[in-house]
Amino acid sequence: MLLEMLDYPFMQRAFIAGLMIAILASLSGSFIVLRRYSLLSETLAHVSLVGVSVGLLFGMSPLWMAVLASLVASWMIEYLRSVHGMYSDSVLAIFLSGSLALAIVIVSMAGSFNASLFSYLFGSILSVSTQDLWVMGIFGSLAMALLLAFFKELYFIAFDEDVARAGGIRVTMLNFMLVSIIAVIIALSIRVVGTLLIGALMVIPPVAAIRFGMGFYPTTLLSIAIALISVVIGLSASYLFSLPSGAAIVLCLLVIFIIALVINRR
Amino acid sequence: MKFFPSLFEVNGLNFERQGTLVLKGAAFRILAGEYCAIIGPNGGGKTTLIRLLLGLEKPTSGDIKLFGIPQNRFRDWNRIGYVPQRSALVDSTFPATVREVVGMGRYAVRGILGFESAEDKTAISEAMELMGVSDLSDRLIGNLSGGQRQRVMIARALASNPDVLIVDEPNTGVDVESQHRFYELLRTLNRTKKMSILFITHDIGVIAEDITRVLFVNQTVLVSQNPAEMIRCDEMSRLYGTPAHVVSHNH
Repeated sequence: MLLEMLDYPFMQRAFIAGLMIAILASLSGSFIVLRRYSLLSETLAHVSLVGVSVGLLFGMSPLWMAVLASLVASWMIEYLRSVHGMYSDSVLAIFLSGSLALAIVIVSMAGSFNASLFSYLFGSILSVSTQDLWVMGIFGSLAMALLLAFFKELYFIAFDEDVARAGGIRVTMLNFMLVSIIAVIIALSIRVVGTLLIGALMVIPPVAAIRFGMGFYPTTLLSIAIALISVVIGLSASYLFSLPSGAAIVLCLLVIFIIALVINRR
Repeated sequence: MKFFPSLFEVNGLNFERQGTLVLKGAAFRILAGEYCAIIGPNGGGKTTLIRLLLGLEKPTSGDIKLFGIPQNRFRDWNRIGYVPQRSALVDSTFPATVREVVGMGRYAVRGILGFESAEDKTAISEAMELMGVSDLSDRLIGNLSGGQRQRVMIARALASNPDVLIVDEPNTGVDVESQHRFYELLRTLNRTKKMSILFITHDIGVIAEDITRVLFVNQTVLVSQNPAEMIRCDEMSRLYGTPAHVVSHNH
């Protein structure tokens, strides 16, 4: 029965999208977790909801609008943090609640697309179109290429930003690049995981992997493996039990996180 | 390698932070091969001076030249090894092995997409060997003692084979035994590797030996090439603005 589900084109699309997102979210998530910046994913997810709402209201592509809103917000957040020296948690809290408020106002103005919005909030395996896959493939490949090209520099910055800067690494440029990549990944993920749950896919895999007390490279690989396993199990459960895919994936992640905690009691 | 007699050349350097003057009219040179200490009271601007030299802060006015090149055109940052203040205080859960941390010292040399070459591997091994942390290679940095972490951070700074090593308050969070070994190491690097050393210290006793130049930083920068003269009790008392007692010990 499990293999049967792959006969359906919508499940094939959901799996391709889900596996792409699992790799991208867990890889980029490692850097924000290590920088105590985990709330960034949650904040940008809420911001992307504004984009989705605007898209639905004005009949534009919700996915493209989510990418745009998320990108602009990520640059503003990084600008306020790095140039104006504002506390990152404060900036994130402002954007998180502000964007949610804006999204609610837009939704209440329209009132007619609540059903569509639900799938963006919690993810839906039925909602991934072929066009979505193309958009995810193009932007996902670009994000992956940049993450791999600057992997070691981003790791150095996460470990010690000042020393990385003193060593000639272009920290400011790379910080803006990282938040931009995360913004795009989050916006791309909302079809499968949903805006309210994508933060978990970015944060839980690296946090669980870190519990195993390994170096950065094996930790990153384990983090990706955890995300992939959760997506496969979560999407299967979503198909079998008619659950929202995002919620099923996040519950899987939580189970793995608890197992990691129990195995690695310190 | 090109030889520049002047590693750092600073002229008319002023720095303000939120309207408060932190450094005023600093002017000095540090030459290749020097073993130079920066002393001064807390809040006097020692760390700020180092951050200005490294380009981590922008001066309000004034000129800084590194290896004879104006700082805004200087690109060979890997020629300067930097160990910041409190570098030994690492998050205990950070997923980084000793080998990975020391390897970071080669990242700027490797460039974008650059894989670790044989030369990188040799430089990392030598730095770890020199600092006596080779046997800790696979240990997580967070599981080490303060003294061990300090040695790892210096190994990271040495991995790029720098011409000058800048160390900011090296002994924060490490025990006395590690401090002793640390000063021995700095001397060895300066004497045998001909590496220039610039370090901030509150341990005034240590500057009595071997130091070629002392920068006393307290908003202004006073330069002395006669450390023995500078650490006289009456001179220290005058500079610090409070009675000072200089205690000699075996470092």
